[in-house]
Amino acid sequence: MGEREEERIIIAEIGAANTKAILLRAKGGSLQLEAVAEAPTTVEPPRLDVTKGIEAAVKRLEAESGERLWGDEGPKVKFLCSSGDAGGLHMIVAGVMGMISRESAERAALGAGAHLLDAFSKDDIRPNYILVEAMRSNRPDIFLLAGGTDGGAVNQVLELATLIAKSDVRPRFGEGYKLPVIFAGNVEVRKQVSETLREDRYATRAVANVRPDIDRENLGPAKEAIYDSYMEHVIVHAPGYDKLAHMVKGQILPSQAAIGKALYAYAESRDINLLAVDVGSATTDIYSVYNGIFNRSLNAEVGLTYGILNVLKIAGVDAVSRWLPYELNEKEVRNIAANLMALQPEKLTPEEEAVRDAAAREAIKLSVELHKRIASRLKGIVIKRTIADTFSQSLEETHVNMAKTQAIVARGKAFEGLKETSALILLDALEPVGVTQIMYDPELLVSHAGILLDYNKDAAVKLLSDRILKPIGTCVCPKGKTESDGALKIKLQRSTGLTTTETIPFGEIKAIPLKAGEMAELEAAPSGRLDLGRGRGKTVKSVVTGGSLGLIIDARGRPLPPPKRDQQRKWLLALAAGKGGA
Amino acid sequence: MSRVTQAVIRKKRMLPAAGEVFVKKGERVSPATTVAKGKVRNPYIEGIRLDLKLGVDAANVKPYLLKRVGDEVKKDDVIALRRSFLGRTKVCRASIDGSIEAFLPTSGQLLIRGAPIAIEVKAHIPGEVIEVIPEEGAVVETEAKSVESVFGVGGETHGEIMLAVEKPDEALMEAAIEKEHRDKIIVGGSTVTLEALRRAHEVGARAIIVGGVDEKDLTSLLGYELGFGITGNETLGMTLILTEGFGPRPMDGEVFSLLRSFQGKLACVDGTTQIRARMLRPEVILPLS
Repeated sequence: MGEREEERIIIAEIGAANTKAILLRAKGGSLQLEAVAEAPTTVEPPRLDVTKGIEAAVKRLEAESGERLWGDEGPKVKFLCSSGDAGGLHMIVAGVMGMISRESAERAALGAGAHLLDAFSKDDIRPNYILVEAMRSNRPDIFLLAGGTDGGAVNQVLELATLIAKSDVRPRFGEGYKLPVIFAGNVEVRKQVSETLREDRYATRAVANVRPDIDRENLGPAKEAIYDSYMEHVIVHAPGYDKLAHMVKGQILPSQAAIGKALYAYAESRDINLLAVDVGSATTDIYSVYNGIFNRSLNAEVGLTYGILNVLKIAGVDAVSRWLPYELNEKEVRNIAANLMALQPEKLTPEEEAVRDAAAREAIKLSVELHKRIASRLKGIVIKRTIADTFSQSLEETHVNMAKTQAIVARGKAFEGLKETSALILLDALEPVGVTQIMYDPELLVSHAGILLDYNKDAAVKLLSDRILKPIGTCVCPKGKTESDGALKIKLQRSTGLTTTETIPFGEIKAIPLKAGEMAELEAAPSGRLDLGRGRGKTVKSVVTGGSLGLIIDARGRPLPPPKRDQQRKWLLALAAGKGGA
Repeated sequence: MSRVTQAVIRKKRMLPAAGEVFVKKGERVSPATTVAKGKVRNPYIEGIRLDLKLGVDAANVKPYLLKRVGDEVKKDDVIALRRSFLGRTKVCRASIDGSIEAFLPTSGQLLIRGAPIAIEVKAHIPGEVIEVIPEEGAVVETEAKSVESVFGVGGETHGEIMLAVEKPDEALMEAAIEKEHRDKIIVGGSTVTLEALRRAHEVGARAIIVGGVDEKDLTSLLGYELGFGITGNETLGMTLILTEGFGPRPMDGEVFSLLRSFQGKLACVDGTTQIRARMLRPEVILPLS
């Protein structure tokens, strides 16, 4: 007990721009977050040593905690770390069938936090010579090769291995180093694959098949192998990581993998389905946990500074402009977006904020569509349909179902503004249905909790619940459309005994103050044609928790009608009214 | 947003692959001086289905091959030949100049890589060669004023500076561009219209330096939408440097005055921008000697 009481842990996340460190201390039988500090990441000249940035961040922790945490050899206390610098982990995957083994390989790589540069398969429509050129022009950190169920395809797997060998794929870092290739395919061709990929060029290792049977997916061993290869072959090339490896207890994970692990553990602990969006400068990550199945997707095209012109390019200027609270012409929208990309202003004007928030909605929409493909049921399985399936959703292509999502987690650039703006972005972009809690990660500490998981799972989950994930509120959103005035009758009984009843007309938003952490019994009765996820007109009873915006009733219906210019401000004011309870 | 500095500028002028260096240490060079020449691998690969052309199964193609991997070929060279029992001959010829990249026995496909592409590196700035890097290039040094700008398109070029506006907040219009601007670096004010951009391109101006431009006009000029802020490889034939950003933005007074003081003198500009990867911003170099 005594030693545990004295325990202190430093967890650092090395980001592209900044290194963020936290200090945890054992107090009252649990680990508590004592201080957070940040310093610039030092992987560029003149300070080519990642540990310098960590040292600077830890010294700031020292200033806050008043005790010496950094010694001659590095941190004086237990030290854990994740890394997302240099753009993270870059991977290429390949599988025999695009919709079967390649898709499983994609899920394994993305789930391990990778940025997928390309994905190949034998049924790829691109001719071989284009595939060769594509493999050659991308310089991945790791290549994941899948294909063939155990005891299944042999020749096609070997053809893929031959293609990789002929392409002479080179690693991103370290000219002359071997490219790590993880083979997670047919167990019976391991030897031939390893012989095909020359030892002087490729560091090949075989792990359990990601698709041992057509109806079974096994991503764990491939993910673990990715983490190991990341430590052994990738991260060592970054300046100062050799020193860092001696300081760290356990693995250095890619930050996105740590985030995924944390969100999965959190959803598992609450036994809920969860959807998380992380809208960054250049990319948008979506994480989901549905019925215990974790998935991550990365839209490397769209973000809110470097990637904002891509949002306009892919979604279209009109799609972005429809979310603006006031009229801006096409030229103005394009110029503002281009300046967000080129100038990256620290302080935004109201127009810049409006364009960024509008682009955030479309970035999330685009990325969720991509995520639906990744978070899908296994393909290639013969499913016998019965008449009952006509009315069930058991054969849905994707796991993502907003009516079955109990929690939404937001992080990233899009949610740095006002809470009501963040909430409206999420309501507009995700269109939740039923009763859904909305949380956000204001200090970007979810990855730190993910790193802590392997060391102390209970403490990591508690940290997420109590300190890291801040509740914005719980939203109640009916699906469908109605003409009747009284769309939704709400009865909210608080623990104090106070009961609030409200009738929210269709097409409106209303926020009822309910403090963060405060629980209340909700009874929501939708009018005949509206559905809160239990069927049309069916009353839903639920225990809800509050947040900075309390209980949010979004009675605009689903799908959302096209937004009207003058309504955006009205919705923001309606949401801000929920702040009374915070 | 733009930044003016004066310093001794050293430019490393390197080939992407080994080649021949044509300058010596201590030599005086001009922007157009060739520093090094070499050849780089051609990214173009052409695939030929030999099995279909020869009329045999993919697995049986190999005995008919007349060339080996690595062999150089000229267009129309015979690369595979099959004489049938009845004396009919099926010939397969190279479709491009290049070399045999690979033969894929499982698909019967032969890959020919295009012939290496010749590349040349110029000095880009005038000055003295202070270091020669054998087989790769050289370092050229000059004292100059430079303007770091916000965004650009188009690569390196050089020419004489010619102002086309009177004030930094004046828009550069089509009427201000004349035939005299051929091979010149035109200086505009707050913005440049699409018509003026097209006119400058038409008369053969080498570059335009201006405060801003409407992103939509730039898209129209390029013919495609910008995605990430990575530029420099545009094949427009004219470089555009934005000193302040997008939209009408008066050029910084100090920059405008500096450019005006260099009227008729040499400017070396590079529109290459890499906002995300390496924070490379476009620059205008104004050599002092």
